[in-house]
Amino acid sequence: MDQRELLTLEHYLKQYGQQAEIFASQLELMENGRMEALAAVEALQGISDADDGTVLLQIGGGASVRVKVLEPDKVLLNIGADVIVERTNKDAVEFLKDRIIEMEASEKKVVETLDRLRTQMNEIAKRIEQGYQQTVQAERGAQAAMGDQDE
Amino acid sequence: MFGGLRERLQSARALLSGSIEAAAAAPPSEKPDAPAASRSAAPEPQVRPPAKKTATFASKVRTFVIDRELIITEKELADALYELEMTLLESDVALPVTDAIIAHVKKDLVGKHRRIGQSVDSLVVSTLRSALLGVLGEGFDLITYIKNHERPVKILFTGVNGTGKTTTVAKVGDFLKKQGFTVVIGAGDTYRAGAIEQIEVHAERTGIKIIQHQQGADPSAVLFDAVQYAVSHKMDVILADTAGRFHTKANLMSQLEKIRRVMKPDLVVYVDEAIAGNDAVVRAAEFDRTVGADAVVLTKADMDSRGGAAISIAHTIGKPLMFLGTGQGYDDIVPFSPEAVVEELLGDA
Repeated sequence: MDQRELLTLEHYLKQYGQQAEIFASQLELMENGRMEALAAVEALQGISDADDGTVLLQIGGGASVRVKVLEPDKVLLNIGADVIVERTNKDAVEFLKDRIIEMEASEKKVVETLDRLRTQMNEIAKRIEQGYQQTVQAERGAQAAMGDQDE
Repeated sequence: MFGGLRERLQSARALLSGSIEAAAAAPPSEKPDAPAASRSAAPEPQVRPPAKKTATFASKVRTFVIDRELIITEKELADALYELEMTLLESDVALPVTDAIIAHVKKDLVGKHRRIGQSVDSLVVSTLRSALLGVLGEGFDLITYIKNHERPVKILFTGVNGTGKTTTVAKVGDFLKKQGFTVVIGAGDTYRAGAIEQIEVHAERTGIKIIQHQQGADPSAVLFDAVQYAVSHKMDVILADTAGRFHTKANLMSQLEKIRRVMKPDLVVYVDEAIAGNDAVVRAAEFDRTVGADAVVLTKADMDSRGGAAISIAHTIGKPLMFLGTGQGYDDIVPFSPEAVVEELLGDA
């Protein structure tokens, strides 16, 4: 393998690496969205289960306050396209659960793409490694030949 | 592609069909077997066909709806239309686009004397089909555009960061090369580290000539050189890659303005990702307002289950969709065809 081929492979590896980075950050965003939806489901269920609508509201820094939710069965929900509608607590939970399933399916596709990219990256990395070894062996061979000639 | 929206549309379609069938079955005064009544008044009441008594409710309704004229009121469709509206909004279809689809469906189905003459489901599907085609626009046929345009055709790709602009440039280049056009790529993203190497690798793999300067160079100069190269070598198309930028970054936007002045592109193509949903639509509208766009490419459509951006973008910004990116390979790009998207969404109909 010549130097030019090695260089091209290194470019490929870098390119795949950049693509993988983009997909990884996309996956992270999706995962954050999923976790947020899961937290919302848990909170809505908590509000629904609270006897008098009183729940603990975390305000950051480890601090929480007791709050009374005025209308625990009315939830304002962004259903998509930046449109907010009023739903019952139960319907909102159902909607969020559907969305979580949808996000999981999308995440799966991104993970599959990432896996494919990583497999390709591993193959390229292996070829680069082989190329380096061939180069090193060729150099050693040349040096040994030079040594023989000197003797 | 758009699997979630397809499933939801199937439910909305069933609901609309159900509402029409229910409306058709409701008025007891208009009987489907009216001819039988006149027959009974005839002097020779001979053989009564017993089959009519054994007909199922569904088949009765079907015949009823197919054979007679029917007036469908808005009230009768209200629930189904509300569900359709929710379906579209939940799929990230922009509000004005959702309104347009609902208005189209309502106009097609409500308040008219209509002789259906076909199954209720076909009626609903054809209504949905025409409503969707109404908002999807006609698409942008790049091949025809190039064939009918003075060469070289200069195409400038713009958009926000990380949406797959550079890969799209390579895919479009490969697509055009396979259609027999000669293509040169201008590596105008001199800002992002590794961008020039990335497009260089793409160009090498697809066998497309690339014009590049060093990182940090003036992108206008790179793209000017690309135009000069294309003119002197009588090439058909110049694909100009640019750095990703948000429309709020004044310095980068003025750089884009300079590129436009120097390069004088024939087409400005906005690239965004389908999975960004409504955000992509909002960004495209902003870009169109600030730098202008002649067509749109949506990448990562294969990962988008909702389809909101693809449905909304053309109607919202008034610019056609050109391509959908559907995967990682160079072949994974399809010219946008509204009919194909509608077929994908309404499937088996």
